[in-house]
Amino acid sequence: MDWRVRNDGARLVAVPTGRVDEDSWKAFSTHLNAAVNDALVLAIPSLVIDLSGLEYMTSKGLRALTLAKNEARGEVTIRLAAPNATMRRILSISRYDMLFPVVDAVDPAS
Amino acid sequence: MLVRFWGTRGSLPVAQRADAILTRIARALVIARGRRFDSEAEAAEFARTDIEFATYGTYGGATPCVEIEADENAFVICDMGSGLREFGVSAQRRCAEGHPRVYHFFLSHLHWDHIMGFPFFRPAYESGATIVIHSGHWDAEDALRRQQADISFPVPFDALKANIEFVEHTPGQTFEAAGLQVSLIHQRHRRGSFGYRFERQGKAVVYSTDAEHRPDDMEAEDAFQAFFANADLVICDTMYSLGDTVSLKLDKGHSSNVVAVDLCHAASARRLALFHHEPSHSDEDIQQMFFETVRYEKIVRGGRPELEVVCAYDGLEVEV
Repeated sequence: MDWRVRNDGARLVAVPTGRVDEDSWKAFSTHLNAAVNDALVLAIPSLVIDLSGLEYMTSKGLRALTLAKNEARGEVTIRLAAPNATMRRILSISRYDMLFPVVDAVDPAS
Repeated sequence: MLVRFWGTRGSLPVAQRADAILTRIARALVIARGRRFDSEAEAAEFARTDIEFATYGTYGGATPCVEIEADENAFVICDMGSGLREFGVSAQRRCAEGHPRVYHFFLSHLHWDHIMGFPFFRPAYESGATIVIHSGHWDAEDALRRQQADISFPVPFDALKANIEFVEHTPGQTFEAAGLQVSLIHQRHRRGSFGYRFERQGKAVVYSTDAEHRPDDMEAEDAFQAFFANADLVICDTMYSLGDTVSLKLDKGHSSNVVAVDLCHAASARRLALFHHEPSHSDEDIQQMFFETVRYEKIVRGGRPELEVVCAYDGLEVEV
């Protein structure tokens, strides 16, 4: 899994690519928590996870999202954006689409 | 080994209501579309092949009780949920045909749904029967005696005529019982629970119910991956969705279907049985969870061999 993050001013956009599985969940979780902490420090209220480059995510990756949400303490909203069909199915099967806002696109419609 | 499920529901026994049966019959008749059957056997075969399980069957209502048929000299039973009553009837029939009246029980924990069947276990009332109760808890006897105190049940524990022995075990120490190599693992649950691994002649069955795998302790799952390693069958607590286990049901002591799949994949297990179904879930709900689990397994399988997923129901038999 690769990870990039950019600061759009009003939000941070994190872009993981590849897959989050048994081998990569720790790195994913570390990056995710760092992004949340950056958002907290910079007082940026929104963190968007761009899922478009993610093949799939297993339960440890999903639970890493929960840890990040806890870390955000309600001060940073985490949104999941642009999941592919497989990721969308995983979010539905795990009911994580009930826990996180899931949006079709990374950039809000103008 | 043959694994026979006598009780698969979690927390509380569930009975089918008349309106639910009527709905199923009506649905089946619509699917049959006027087809004629010359016998009930022919109709049953049609149901099995052309109708979904949630319509022609049920995932069952008895609380946890699983038999592992391995050694002809003793019965092996995991937990004493309400499914134990029917097992007892079956065991008495088999004993009448010559099976020794020796029973080895392995208790995951002492919560009510896992012991409530014992007062109704008819072999316990037979003199000459031997019952060995294996547990990771030191107070298993207290729990069984208490549920037969006169405030709860009309027949006291001391009225049981079988020779009953309690054996406490320690996680990490393998022991032999009923012709099986047995080990146990401590699991996160209110007051703790224990998973068991049974091995015989190169085959392994794992019974891991009432176990929570929390987001803030994912490193602890390494021990479960080792415990499940190369198992031929893993019976796993899949009571809730993952989303529920990290939110509404956090700290309730249960796990999810997707965590079960991931643990089995990491352990290179061959088959997973979804178990300890939530009592408020209908058969349709459980069947949907089963289908979703199969789909999830396929998505995250990667280059591994297929993990076969089965959804446990009362009466299911799995050859290992």
